[in-house]
Amino acid sequence: MSGAIEKKGEDGKQRARRKRRGIFTRLVSSVPELTILILLLVGGYTVMAVFSKVQGTQILDPFSIWLIIVGSFLISTAIAIIAVIAGIGGGVIFTPIMLGFTSMDSLIIRATGLVVAMFGGLISSGPFMKSRLANLRVVFFCGVPITIGALAGSVCAIYLHDALGAVGDGMVRLSLGILMLVIAWFLFTGGGKTEYPEPDRIDPLSKKLGLEGSYWEGSLGKVVDYQLVRALPGAFIFIFLGFVGGFFGMGGGAFLTATLNLVMMAPVKIAAACSGVLLAISDATAIWTYITYGALVAILAAPWMLGHVVGGILGAHLLIRIRAGFVRKILIFILILSSVKLIARGLEGTFGIHIPILG
Amino acid sequence: MEDNKLKAPFAGLVYGQIIYWGVMFASLIVIIGSVMAFITRNNYVPVSYWLSLVWAGKSPSQIWSGITGSLPMGHWYFSHLMTGDGLAAFGISLAVFSVVPALFLSSAVLFKDGDKLYGSLALICGIIVLTGVLGLIPIG
Repeated sequence: MSGAIEKKGEDGKQRARRKRRGIFTRLVSSVPELTILILLLVGGYTVMAVFSKVQGTQILDPFSIWLIIVGSFLISTAIAIIAVIAGIGGGVIFTPIMLGFTSMDSLIIRATGLVVAMFGGLISSGPFMKSRLANLRVVFFCGVPITIGALAGSVCAIYLHDALGAVGDGMVRLSLGILMLVIAWFLFTGGGKTEYPEPDRIDPLSKKLGLEGSYWEGSLGKVVDYQLVRALPGAFIFIFLGFVGGFFGMGGGAFLTATLNLVMMAPVKIAAACSGVLLAISDATAIWTYITYGALVAILAAPWMLGHVVGGILGAHLLIRIRAGFVRKILIFILILSSVKLIARGLEGTFGIHIPILG
Repeated sequence: MEDNKLKAPFAGLVYGQIIYWGVMFASLIVIIGSVMAFITRNNYVPVSYWLSLVWAGKSPSQIWSGITGSLPMGHWYFSHLMTGDGLAAFGISLAVFSVVPALFLSSAVLFKDGDKLYGSLALICGIIVLTGVLGLIPIG
């Protein structure tokens, strides 16, 4: 009897091993460029460790510098995988944690945050367009207001940083902390999202714009047709969301998805895919203000970018293997923790109120 | 019939593929730039200087004041493409820039297909991104 159980257990283990090998082989054969990139990265970081000519300073020794680069790459890859599974942009994780728990300048963090927020969306634009989950009309219609907002937001961020200094940084931390709590609440409640919303009436503008489409829904085994509504209010909301993304250096993908799903009545899968592509366009607009200002430190941003390219592709392929609900819970915990720290540091920077919290 | 209905629009494929391969190519440049920055002394600014000051919480203006005396206010890396940090900065910018040709070419495909409205919207998006690239809005 016990022998039979043992045999069954071994069969299960072998099946799991075969399955894992299957996923790995599929990934290597279907995305060979990812394999090449990973091999180059492993080789590159090894060469950087062995032949490093970096000199230490009073603040950092050469090994710490290498560790920051490799650690950033590994953390970025993990954030990208989590972000893809949770259906948000990586900036929502990166920016609040860095602003809350490090002493790095807020403008440099926000510039790097845009890199983190953007590359998951950039790399997934191709597959989303190919699968028709990202609707080209929705992307280009919402793309205009969101890029206008993003450009304005990034310019305001620089002005506020220059004009208000440390107080401005405190205000950014405080308002971002409050925003993080709202996002955590959104993720906790699911934002009241509906899988296949059915609009009561279609407004003339949305009809004229032809904001409609269809996609293959695997879970239903049929083609789902949809029609978006409320084009004008949606456009105004996208100006605001673009501004928030450009200003704080994060995409706010959860809000983009909610707007497309709850206001414009896009099916949740379409909303999530379109928000990823829109996130990339808006952040690709906002980041130039930071680049030309000199706030993007390439040596620091490079591993974050590369981690998001690798993690973005890996996350999309591993998506079905991991329970999204569990990842969401971890994410909510991270968001609440960083928002508490951000609010405490924001109050300290803005009003001089010292709150001894989390170190 | 159903297959035709689910075929991705060519303009969408053009948009997605340009960005995907643009980012892949740019990633190679970023890897080369990062390795160069570490294993040679051929850098515009030493790696340890960048990271130490960032780690110490210095602002961009404080960091740049030690390099050029003032903020770059432009694409500083273009004149330092043979250095490790310059090449890494160029690679990141190139990856972000891939959105611009993707929008313009997608717009051209839409115009060719007779979809003037969405061709125009893609063109406007591209122009807004280009405004950011060229730094046409005064900052600082």
